[in-house]
Parts: sequence; C-alpha cells; structure tokens
Amino acid sequence: MTATTPELETAIDRLLLADANALDSKDMPGWLANYAEEDQASYYCRAAENTEHNLELGFMFDDCRARLEDRVTYVNEIWAGTFQDYRTRHFVQRVSHRQVDARTVEVVSNFSVFMTPMDAGVTQVLAAGRYLDTMRLSDDGGAKLLFRRAELDTSVLPRYLVYPI
Amino acid sequence: MAETTLTWPKNYNEVPKAAFTRADLYADEIRRIFHGPEWHPIAHESELPNPGDFKTMRLAGIPLLISRDEAGVVRVFYNACSHRSNQLETAVMGNKTEFECPYHRWLFNAKGDLVGCPNPREFLPGFDKADYPLGQPRFELFYGLIFVTFSAETEPLDEFLGEAGETLRELMAGDGRLKLLGYQKVRYDSNWKGYNDNDGYHAPLLHAAFKMLNWQGGKGRQYTCTKRGHVCFESALSVASGPSVLKDKELIAFKGQDPSVGSRIVQLFPTFVSTKHLDVINLRFANPVDAETTEVHYAYFAHQDDDADMVRHRLRQSSNLLGPCGLISMEDASIFHRIHIGSHTPGNAIFQKGVRDPGKLESEFLQNDESGNLPRWEYYRSAMGFERAEA
Repeated sequence: MTATTPELETAIDRLLLADANALDSKDMPGWLANYAEEDQASYYCRAAENTEHNLELGFMFDDCRARLEDRVTYVNEIWAGTFQDYRTRHFVQRVSHRQVDARTVEVVSNFSVFMTPMDAGVTQVLAAGRYLDTMRLSDDGGAKLLFRRAELDTSVLPRYLVYPI
Repeated sequence: MAETTLTWPKNYNEVPKAAFTRADLYADEIRRIFHGPEWHPIAHESELPNPGDFKTMRLAGIPLLISRDEAGVVRVFYNACSHRSNQLETAVMGNKTEFECPYHRWLFNAKGDLVGCPNPREFLPGFDKADYPLGQPRFELFYGLIFVTFSAETEPLDEFLGEAGETLRELMAGDGRLKLLGYQKVRYDSNWKGYNDNDGYHAPLLHAAFKMLNWQGGKGRQYTCTKRGHVCFESALSVASGPSVLKDKELIAFKGQDPSVGSRIVQLFPTFVSTKHLDVINLRFANPVDAETTEVHYAYFAHQDDDADMVRHRLRQSSNLLGPCGLISMEDASIFHRIHIGSHTPGNAIFQKGVRDPGKLESEFLQNDESGNLPRWEYYRSAMGFERAEA
C-alpha cells in the first residue's frame, strides 16, 4: 500500500466533492475551474464496454484544455433553451489512490448519478461507474484534475447527455 | 386476430398523431413490419473484424448472434440453443469459435453446427446432430452492412435498397472497408416512428451551433426511393468559415481526401439512419423496445486505409459532434422526447415545408424540405393496412 496522509486524502476528497457540486449546480465555469491550467487537462466520458474492447470512442472526448473550455460554451451558449433540462445528484466515493510523484496522484472513485427531468419530475439512475483520475497537487495543499475518465458501467444511457458526468 | 384500424387523413402531408401513441398498434407493427417483409441492418461486419469475433443484439425482441468463423465468413444466427431455446451467448461482443449452452451442454461451432451434446443415446430414436444446427434468419451483406429479414417474402436486398444503395455505398467510404471506433448507446423516450421521423431530417432552425459557428448548410439533394420511401440526402461538403466560438476548431475540420463526396444521410424504412458528415461515418442501429421506447446504438467508424492521425481525428470528431451528446445534435435527442409527449394530443401532425400539393407524393426535394418523410408515411400506412379517407 502506498503511503498516504490525512492531508492528501482531504485534498482528494475536496476536489471530488467540488466537481460533484459544480456539476449538480450546473456551474460550468466552476466545473472547468476544477481542472489544471495545463494544455493536456482532459475529460472523457465513455462506456466501460468500449474500453474493454479497446474502442476509444466516448460520449465526450475532451482531450485538451481548449475542449474543456468549449464544453462550457456548448452548455451555456450553444444548447441553451433547446433541451428538456434535468437535475442531477452525483454521489462519489474514493476507493483507492496512489501517489505517483510529489505533484501527481492517481485516484479511483465510484460514482452514481441520479437524474430528475424537470418536466416529468420522476427520478431515475442516469449512470453508475468509476472516475479514473490523475490529479495535480499544488503547494498550497489543493488538488486539480489533470485527467479524468468517467468510465460508465451503464453502456446504454437512459437519454442524451447535456452535462458531463 | 382482430386487425387494428386507424383512419388516415386524405392529405398526404397529414399524419394522425395517434400513430405515434396508440399502444394497440405496436404489436401489429412488430408483426407486420419488424418481423414482416422488411430488411433490417443489424451490424457492419467491421464490428467483428477477426476470426471468432461475435456480436449479439435483439431486433424487436428477437435475439441474434452474428459471428465470424475461423475462415472469416460472417453468419447470422438466432441466439438460442437448438434444443430448448436457452439464450446461447450473453456477451454483447467477444471472440469465440465455439458456443456452449450451459443448460444441457450443447456445443456449437462458429458455423452454427451442433458439434457436441452429452448422452445423445438417451435422446429421441434416430437423433442426429446434423439435424440441430443453430437456426438462421435470412441475411445478406451490402458493402459489409449486415441485413436480416424474418420473412421469406422479402424481396432481394438490392431491390429493397433501390437507388439508396448507391448513396449508402458512398456514405460507407465508397467501399465499406470500415474500422470500428466504438459505440454510443442510448434509449429515447419516444415511439420508434417519432425517432425515425425526426432523426434523418435535421431542421436547421433547431441548431444554434450552425449560426454560432458561421456554418452555412451545403446545397444539396434530398430524394426518396422505392415504395418504402427510403430517404437519402446528398450535399456538397460545407465547412464552417469565419469567426467561431470554438477554441478547438478541429471538431468541425474536414481532413478527408475527397471533398466532392460531401455529406450523406441514408434513412431506410423502418428505423435505420446513417450519416457521413465531415469525417464522421456513423451507422445508427435503432430498435423499438416497447411502444414508448427506442434504443439506438450509434456505431462510429474510420476507414481501413486511414493513418493513425486520421483515425485520431475521426475519434475526436465522432465522439463530440453528432451523437446523443454531440455539439450539433444533442437537441435532436430532446426533440424525440418532446415530439412523443406532444403527440398525445388530438388531431394530425401537418407537414408544411416543401409540400406543394397535399394530394400528391413526390420523390425529389430540397435539402431542408420536411416533405421527404411523406412517402415513408404512405408506405407505413399501407403496410399497416390503414385506409386513407376519401378525397
């Protein structure tokens, strides 16, 4: 088992919860702010079924910081007013982590996301799966996402996705 | 069995909303259309590129197993043991050259032959393994696209496709030599006709992205063919120019070799939609789950001759551009839901754009005409045996 500290675990958990909170608040700039200010900062959302068959295609494939910034534009500007909106609630639980070097830690978390369409008001499960994260640690004890893959156990989604998982 | 009835309006441009919502029509649609004399695309052979690769799926309830044997031959089977019909293979895809039913250990090879079963001496007198291969529906391949039909009456596939075949060939990179990139699978809260009526035809007014990206639609041709009203779009390639709100402009870049091929959409009765737009090659295998739910498997492809950079480009573009969370198509998915809800109101859906004479059906349309859907509706009406009101 890799060495860990309560401070490291706190930094990781703070970031996991900040991301869940930003997504559930539909705060896309807040979501973006959880990512490292590096060109290779990336977010992928993909069915585990694809990964298991060496298929890289995903529901979302934001493999650079520019695409993360574009994702904010999609949601806040391009798609505004065209879709049935829905609330989400993310439940996230860290299950393992491994510090790679002084600035980098790899984290695996489970997630489940409930969805409540605003019109129907009936809650259902949107997706369950794992976050496979690489986090950047900063000198002030904080953490940011450098790489996140939301790998969905849910291979058939109950609808289209507006917000990242 | 009592026939379902629905009186159809006299005008070709009017569709009774009840066609989208009446639950009693659904069983009849499955019998007459999905299990009737139609061809249904279920996979492209590039989804199972290697000997032993297989894929399973259900087509309107019927479980199917598509497998490639050691010699590379692709076949379609019913995914049920020839003994007691236990579902034979449960994995969605994988690689196997033998399929064993766990219930009584009957073993089949990838050609569908029963090659082993324990204690056959206790079976019916004269039992012969050769009499118990896996059952097979009729199937045919078109540039690698695998079609099945459950009826002996269905005409040959080439005839079913008609002129749409040529557009479909162009859409599949001209030769069908594709390489699978992956899937996006979703369920829509929509009757299968609500999905089908609104996916192939893209009302550009819906898409703010086009305006915000300074992306003018290409001028093109929309036509329908065969008695089924398959809809095809052929348009010149249009690439966004001028200022864009996107920081990563690769999303809407064209890197293909042949811009003259442009964009293509082929929509086959009853549910199949396929599209080639920029460098995205996308086949959508859509299936009714029940009267109110349609499951769509968006499969995306590269071409076998692509270099690594092109595959990467297609992967990046395919994931984010046209699917159920794509930049210029996510709103379509929402429309499927909203059409389904709105159709639970009295009266008819009335098609307007491109309708010159509601008493006539045409087969050539402008790219943005919604009247291209009308020949398909006329075929649906006749396939279901519904009477049209007198003029």
